[in-house]
Amino acid sequence: MRSILTLFLIVALGAATGCNARGSVAMRAPEMDMTLSHKPSPAAHPSSPVHSISLPHDEAFAPPGPGRDAFVTACVVCHSPRYITSQPPFSRTVWKGIVQKMIDTYGAHITTTQAAEIVGYLAYTNGAHLIGGEGE
Amino acid sequence: MGSLRDDQSTPRDVQRTGGPSGSSNAKVTRRTIFRFAAQLAAGLLMAGREDGSTLLPQSSSSEVRRMVRFPEKRELILLTDRPPQLETPLHYFRQDFTPNEAFFVRWHVAGIPTHVDTGFFRLQVDGHVQRSLSLSLDDLRRHFEPVSVIAIAQCSGNSRSLFEPRVAGGQWRHGAMGNALWTGVRLRDLLEAAGIRAGAIDVSFDGLDEPPLASIPDVVKSLAVDRAREPDVMVAYEMNGEPLPILNGFPLRLVMPGWYATYWVKALSRITVLDRPFDGFWVAKAYRIPNNPEGAETPDHLATDTVPINRFTVRSIFVRPEPAEQVAMGRSYEVEGVAFDYGAGIRQVEVSLDNGVHWMDARLDPELGKYSFRRWRYPWSPRARGPHRLMVRATNNDGAGQPTHHWNRSGFMRRVIEDVQVNVV
Repeated sequence: MRSILTLFLIVALGAATGCNARGSVAMRAPEMDMTLSHKPSPAAHPSSPVHSISLPHDEAFAPPGPGRDAFVTACVVCHSPRYITSQPPFSRTVWKGIVQKMIDTYGAHITTTQAAEIVGYLAYTNGAHLIGGEGE
Repeated sequence: MGSLRDDQSTPRDVQRTGGPSGSSNAKVTRRTIFRFAAQLAAGLLMAGREDGSTLLPQSSSSEVRRMVRFPEKRELILLTDRPPQLETPLHYFRQDFTPNEAFFVRWHVAGIPTHVDTGFFRLQVDGHVQRSLSLSLDDLRRHFEPVSVIAIAQCSGNSRSLFEPRVAGGQWRHGAMGNALWTGVRLRDLLEAAGIRAGAIDVSFDGLDEPPLASIPDVVKSLAVDRAREPDVMVAYEMNGEPLPILNGFPLRLVMPGWYATYWVKALSRITVLDRPFDGFWVAKAYRIPNNPEGAETPDHLATDTVPINRFTVRSIFVRPEPAEQVAMGRSYEVEGVAFDYGAGIRQVEVSLDNGVHWMDARLDPELGKYSFRRWRYPWSPRARGPHRLMVRATNNDGAGQPTHHWNRSGFMRRVIEDVQVNVV
């Protein structure tokens, strides 16, 4: 049974990757300034081994729902929607606390109006009501 | 296969179909397959229990997890993509050493290093020292004694998805850990080369990752200077005899055997000796646990006194059978798993087949090192068909065991007696 499940997940992955071949997303500039001193010139290392990867573009889709625009505008700049979709359903109170933490702790650029919309969106798309719990 | 008619429009189904870029055909295919996979998984989990109740899937449908392949990696379980959090499938723990390509991945901020020129790379050692150092990878290999240790890197939140009530954060099962042979230099030797000045208090560690917003605190960790000088703390340039994968911290990673991986700073580029207590966010505010011996609290009584997370708890998990596995009736089956602790060493692992009434000793594999996985086995010949619940607990050489319940708000340092539900057919 498990092998069947695994097989289907593999097939699903194949299907999924088929539309993700859009190239990688540059996460940061390739040149990294590691040190401020003693930096050799590039010419001094003609054969410097450069280790480099390209991250796959595999972002989750933000599900439709009221407040989605505010979510996509304010949240996805720092992290993928999968930070929401991979979480268990939480009550509105929990989501509100998480949004507030993003503002207070991480300095997310979220206005008061946006925050209310985002909390509503998270509670709608991944709220406790989905598992029969209290919506609030 | 599930009908597509009944699952057209709920938000949860749309999100499972992935990104907006797919053709409609691809969406239908993927949705159908995911639904089928989810039903299969749910069917397996909903087998009746002995007490007549139904075992519901712990995770909601949105948490059906998929496999992905990132650079230098085999297929791993996708938790998040940006920044990446990838979990090691359980079956890799049937090996003593977790392959680099299968080793879990966890970054905090989206600006992760994807490009390192080893010709330019320097490890800085600075701050409250007699002489600042700027060390190339060659310098580390040539001028410092190489040392090796077998040690488990385990995320503070490993197994978080099993906490009840559920808590926010990476929804790991048991695969946010791995066992590897780490080779590098002693941190102590680097600090001695720089010469710690009198009055040093903490040592901080910074990697190449950068937050996407200036307001997000850079990921910097710290140790008390005496802890940093202990001989088992390493700066590793190899993992299982190879350079580290970039996603695991190439070219250098701090290795803290027996301590949670939050301290194992990846792509380590700067070590700073401080003459004051480190007050950075990732130690002063994040990765803190209730200040009691159990690291425990309850939702109704959250601890107000907290301390930075530190060493591992005693743990033992089942590696085989896996959850919902079907086991053949009447045939000998080798149950196996891994146990580990913070370095005292595992003394005993016990398995129960009757909900904890009787406990039988598992056979321990030879010890590979006090910070390594201690693999264990238990021969089982199931004599009755139907659902079975197996339990496992470990005791270490300090006499520390495992409780039946443990919770904290962050889902850190899971320590409870684990179980696995299987079906004998």
